[in-house]
Amino acid sequence: MSNLIQSLFSRIRFREAGTLLGLILIGAVFAWQSETFLTAPNIINILQQSAINACIALGMTLVIISGGIDLSVGPVAALSAVLGAAMLVAGVPVPLTILGALGVGVACGFVNGALITWGGLQPFIVTLGGLSLYRALALIYTGGTPIFGLPDEFRALTNGAWMGVPNPVIAVGILALLVWVILTKTPLGEYFMAVGGNPEAARIAGVPVTLTKLAAYMISGLMAAVAAMILIGRLGAAEPTLGTLWELDAIAAAAIGGASLMGGRGSIIGTLIGAIILGTLRNGLTLMNVQAFYQLLATGIIIIVAMLIDKLTSGKQG
Amino acid sequence: MLPRLSLSGIDKTYGSTQVLHGVSLTVRPGEVHGLLGENGAGKSTLLNVLSGVIRADGGVIRIDGKPVTIASPRDATAAGIAMIHQELQQVPELSVAQNIFLGGAMRRFGGLLVDRSAQEAEARRLLAPLDANIDVAAPVRSLRVAKRQIVEIAKALRSNARIIAMDEPTSSLTPNEFERLVQVVANLAAQGVSIIYVSHKMDEVFRLCSQATILRDGRLVGQVPIPETGVGQVIELMVGRDLATASHHRFATNQKVLTVQGLARGRAVQDASFVLHAGEVLGIAGLVGAGRTELLRLIAGVDSADTGSVMIDGQPVAAGPRARIRAGFGLVPEERKRDGIIRHRPVTTNIGLPALRRFSRLGMIRKGLLKARSEELMREVGLRPLDVSRPIGSFSGGNQQKAIIGRWLASNTRIYLFDEPTRGIDVGAKAEIYDLIERLASEGRAVIVVSSELPEVIRVSDRVLVMREGRISATLGPGLPDGEITEANIARAAIPSS
Repeated sequence: MSNLIQSLFSRIRFREAGTLLGLILIGAVFAWQSETFLTAPNIINILQQSAINACIALGMTLVIISGGIDLSVGPVAALSAVLGAAMLVAGVPVPLTILGALGVGVACGFVNGALITWGGLQPFIVTLGGLSLYRALALIYTGGTPIFGLPDEFRALTNGAWMGVPNPVIAVGILALLVWVILTKTPLGEYFMAVGGNPEAARIAGVPVTLTKLAAYMISGLMAAVAAMILIGRLGAAEPTLGTLWELDAIAAAAIGGASLMGGRGSIIGTLIGAIILGTLRNGLTLMNVQAFYQLLATGIIIIVAMLIDKLTSGKQG
Repeated sequence: MLPRLSLSGIDKTYGSTQVLHGVSLTVRPGEVHGLLGENGAGKSTLLNVLSGVIRADGGVIRIDGKPVTIASPRDATAAGIAMIHQELQQVPELSVAQNIFLGGAMRRFGGLLVDRSAQEAEARRLLAPLDANIDVAAPVRSLRVAKRQIVEIAKALRSNARIIAMDEPTSSLTPNEFERLVQVVANLAAQGVSIIYVSHKMDEVFRLCSQATILRDGRLVGQVPIPETGVGQVIELMVGRDLATASHHRFATNQKVLTVQGLARGRAVQDASFVLHAGEVLGIAGLVGAGRTELLRLIAGVDSADTGSVMIDGQPVAAGPRARIRAGFGLVPEERKRDGIIRHRPVTTNIGLPALRRFSRLGMIRKGLLKARSEELMREVGLRPLDVSRPIGSFSGGNQQKAIIGRWLASNTRIYLFDEPTRGIDVGAKAEIYDLIERLASEGRAVIVVSSELPEVIRVSDRVLVMREGRISATLGPGLPDGEITEANIARAAIPSS
């Protein structure tokens, strides 16, 4: 374990250091403007607020690296949420419910992946269709009304904390470590990079291109379902409309973190920092009593500035 | 009579390679002039100079005796030169008339609107003597290639071209369509338009041309009258002297490793059968489009065959690149950037990609092991610089090629499939790759080398298959009935007779 962590830090590279520098700069501005910003409760608050986006962004990063995009994550989360909530309300044991809800996410990811690989359709279009389809299923299933009354046993999982750190933050941290290991240490991770970097060359070199893409979309679906469980645990209810625009925040986090929408490049550490930057921005601007409209403006500017810096520096990185 | 076009002393150098050495060419008004030479002889470069796509380093171009400067395609058009490319440069969704007037639309209302009806009337007038059956309002995509060529010719006439260069215009025409093209070309010539006709097909050249200029290795070999000069003599001029088989060490055994039987895919590859032995280097020669790359891709499992089988040690091998790699095949593709490398990934990954599982323990890649093995292999093949952690995209073409070969050295590959292994590689790296091929053979591996460079095929091969229009037209080698491996024998088997 200590070996892993050591390796984790030794692997922070130029691009990731740049993202981290951006986070520190933004944090410094807020710390200077607001006394409460740099306090332990607020930092934990930021992490808590970033956890769901970070979770979605982990899966999104793998999909983007493998040369695709997943626009359907929000509705997949909504569908997992309402089905999971219905199971809980019906008295299904908590572990079984969680497995079931995660299964729903994986199944949605499989459908996306199958249409993209065997169906030969474009990822953008398939997941755009999924965006409507899964949302519709969640709405139809619930009749449009939220499901209330989730058992405390379930809610305790997401509302608990360990040594002051909320469970969702710990859970997403562990997932991030797992995804990081997959991406940087396993053949599957190299396959994601190869398939996204040059699908034809990867196929000729014997990479199982279809399975690799399927895996990316299934992991993305799984992460959406995990995010859904965290959210309904904290809210105590499952709304069929939850997860609206999650896909855009996740893509933004991945892009700020250095993932190339052309595929073949991206970093889990970068994505995590990207998600925290977005969370910090919202938190800090709220502390400074900046109107929500301006928060949106700041988010847009940060994304574009990050891409411009990327463009200006990537020439030397090859 | 002044020549319509005269080129003299045209030089062109790319980097350190001179591709045209003082080439000259003279075409009279109304003459159909053949431009002949093997792949890489400099024909395309010369056409590009003429059409303003590239600038010559030296030499003079004269039209009707007056020197002209052609620095851009626009200059070429202004000088009355039009080019009909092999890959037609049209917008498929636009109509025939719109394509003819592309970039120079007829306008009305003070230039605000395109005058469609006037364009279509003018297009009809231009097309009438060429092929009156073409509907000027139909999108170009709905036309067959032959008709599209006619549209391209009409476009050339529209810009008052007096010199039309056609690059391999018949490569995808049926015999009937060819007859039609012969008519059109003859009519144009009768009206005083000069035609430069590039083709590999001797019968076409002899049917259409009255003069031919022959290039070899970027040099002018001669300008000869046709048909006074015989077919044999023209081929002789194209390929040069018969080179004696270059001496290299032979390691071919009698042990059959690969048996290919009746392999076919569409028209590209038809009924290909041959065997390959351990330690043997088999060359595959032929013109571009003869089906060599396609055959190699079928063997590697990258494309799927309609019929036929591929057997290793007498056992059929399943389809698909993964199954073929497991069975011991390794393809080194021609288009390295497109089909070979994962540009942003380090050399180590690019080498280990097909065998990542063997470099893994408990599901994790043993990066140290992969790096050590990559370094060892790359030291052997002379990767420069010897830094396997750098992205492969940052290396030169020759070094990328060494890494792709290293990929198969690391994967227990028994049958190496090289497609144009030295294309775009400098001379020094070329020799290293030849040595590597020889080393593979000496270790008992079987090797297939597809190459358009005859000296290369002759240098590395124990036997040579020649392909023509999707079929194996000859098997050359010491003591074989089709003859020895010589440039003349290869050229004879490669060039279509009809």
